[in-house]
Amino acid sequence: MSDEHTHTDEPSDAPRGKPITRRDFLQGLATVPVLGLFGYALYKQIGYEQAQQSAGMTAETKEAAGNEVNVALLGVGAQGKVLLDAMLKIPGLRFRAVCDIWTEYHQMWAVNLLSRYNFEVNGYEDYREMLAKEQDLDAVVIATPDFWHARHAVDCLEAGLNVYCEKEMSNTLESARSMVNAARRTGKLLQIGHQRRSHPRYLHSYHNLLQEADILGRIVTANAQWNRSVQPDNSWPERYTMPADRLRDYGFDSMHQFRNWRWYRGLGGGPIVDLGSHQIDIFNWFLEAQPTAVTASGGTYYYPRETHEWYDTVMAIYEYETARGRAQAYYQTQTTNGSQGYFENFMGVHGTLLISESEAGYKGSLFREATAPPWDEWVRRGYVSPPKVNLPQEEARAVLDVRESVSPDEHQIPIEFLEPYHKPHLENFFNTIRGTTQLNCPAEIGYETAVAVLKVNEAIEAGRRLTFTPSEFAV
Amino acid sequence: MESQKFTHLQMGALVVLRVLIGWHFLYEGIAKLLKPNWSAAGFLMQSKGAFAGLFHWIADTPGVLSVVNTLNIWGLIAIGLGLILGVFTRTASIAGMGLILLYYLCNPLMVGFFYSIPMEGSYLIVNKNLVEMAALFVITVTNSGRYAGIDRILHALVLSRRSARAVPADTAG
Repeated sequence: MSDEHTHTDEPSDAPRGKPITRRDFLQGLATVPVLGLFGYALYKQIGYEQAQQSAGMTAETKEAAGNEVNVALLGVGAQGKVLLDAMLKIPGLRFRAVCDIWTEYHQMWAVNLLSRYNFEVNGYEDYREMLAKEQDLDAVVIATPDFWHARHAVDCLEAGLNVYCEKEMSNTLESARSMVNAARRTGKLLQIGHQRRSHPRYLHSYHNLLQEADILGRIVTANAQWNRSVQPDNSWPERYTMPADRLRDYGFDSMHQFRNWRWYRGLGGGPIVDLGSHQIDIFNWFLEAQPTAVTASGGTYYYPRETHEWYDTVMAIYEYETARGRAQAYYQTQTTNGSQGYFENFMGVHGTLLISESEAGYKGSLFREATAPPWDEWVRRGYVSPPKVNLPQEEARAVLDVRESVSPDEHQIPIEFLEPYHKPHLENFFNTIRGTTQLNCPAEIGYETAVAVLKVNEAIEAGRRLTFTPSEFAV
Repeated sequence: MESQKFTHLQMGALVVLRVLIGWHFLYEGIAKLLKPNWSAAGFLMQSKGAFAGLFHWIADTPGVLSVVNTLNIWGLIAIGLGLILGVFTRTASIAGMGLILLYYLCNPLMVGFFYSIPMEGSYLIVNKNLVEMAALFVITVTNSGRYAGIDRILHALVLSRRSARAVPADTAG
């Protein structure tokens, strides 16, 4: 028999006139088992994906996913887009309306995007018109400039809607208080967008590492920073410039101001509010206290003052009176160099917790002090990873000065979070609407943080240390 | 008739190539089918080059988009099954080439074009899509379904039926 197979337009083993042979059948069906293999691999893959999904969902969220929530978006600028991107990954939401005064650009973008996801959404310029016409809404997600938050949130709450409002809660404490009161009066939900409050790594750190394991011991100092590289002003396509009267109607002097409102007094609060607010909120949460005083220094050192009324560089020191004694926390935000990014760092007598929201930067390290009790139990329970012993050759070789401490062992927080950062906080809001959980950052907490953060700008202005009274944090 | 000679090893290798490409198509289709809200819109919106206008129009026209999405998903699945099982192999491989050509035209790797969709690897004009398309061309012209695949049975059935009806004299090939 020849080693060669004569391949013509017809099978060699089934010449004309001859019946189909057994060999034709066997060879004809030779690749069918591949489908079985494919099916098995697919089955395994689906099982794996489901396990991945359910790992990130509690029993309640699974049950709640069936309950559709009707949502409107109010403000679809840069932050609105971030929230929308996260919400598109949350099951059980029905988008009904989008409101943005920049109708020809941001609003159109959001309406088009949502229609591609098969949502029929109406676009509005005026939120009051939206509230009047959209009768089926359950919730509204607000991502407008800070100075609009109070009016938007209060009116939406009064209209019977549950509100997720971006931080900073407001640019003045008076209007922030009106938001807390509106939530109480209407009995509707008001979640403030300090999204770290729902982040799995922060929840693990607070509940398991700090509360249960008390792994750091007493925290005496903390520091945090957000360093950002120089950025050009936000611009806009010339042909989409809004008419001056519309800008004026909504509180903006110019298109440049509309696109860069965060830098303007009366509209935003500058980087200390935009960035610092997230992290100062973590100081208060992890130290389980409100600050008693703040000292701060800052200014507009780099950018032109005409377009950057708020400070591009701020350094602040908070004093705390915690349940375990006094503590101090340092915060800096600067916008002229992005090196070392952003993180929060808590230093207790037994160890240090270095944490950030970012998966790219400091995603959670713990350093055990050489004098601390062993962490073996927390390693065994999976609360922290086994240590990577930091005994670099340099240190082993060098003669340690008596004033130096031995480098602590480094552990990791074994929690990776690869989804959009805002997704769990939004899920927490929607699941609270469904009645399956409670808000992680209700209006009262948002208010406390606003009190602590807005005082920094005041302290810079005043040029001296300012104190807080406990009653300041209450509404 | 001129007949080409292929060893069993050569034919076997072509069958393996065919099955692997089929597997890839089938899973691309099924993965999209299983993903709720999957849509080609994002991919189409990225389109650059000569045909960008057409692809953007598809992405922006909900009715057309949903037809394109359905055709794409079920096209991928049908082509995948055809290639794995070796059934209508030639049709499946030509259709597969057409589909890949569309993907390529949507985002051609022209020199100096950059996309926000991240790509692994480094490509200069030729990417894996083009390589897969060329591999499908090999499948098309060698028609390996007639060697190992359901086409072999189909073909034999057709032939045996035809010859049963034919007059005995009609045997001159």
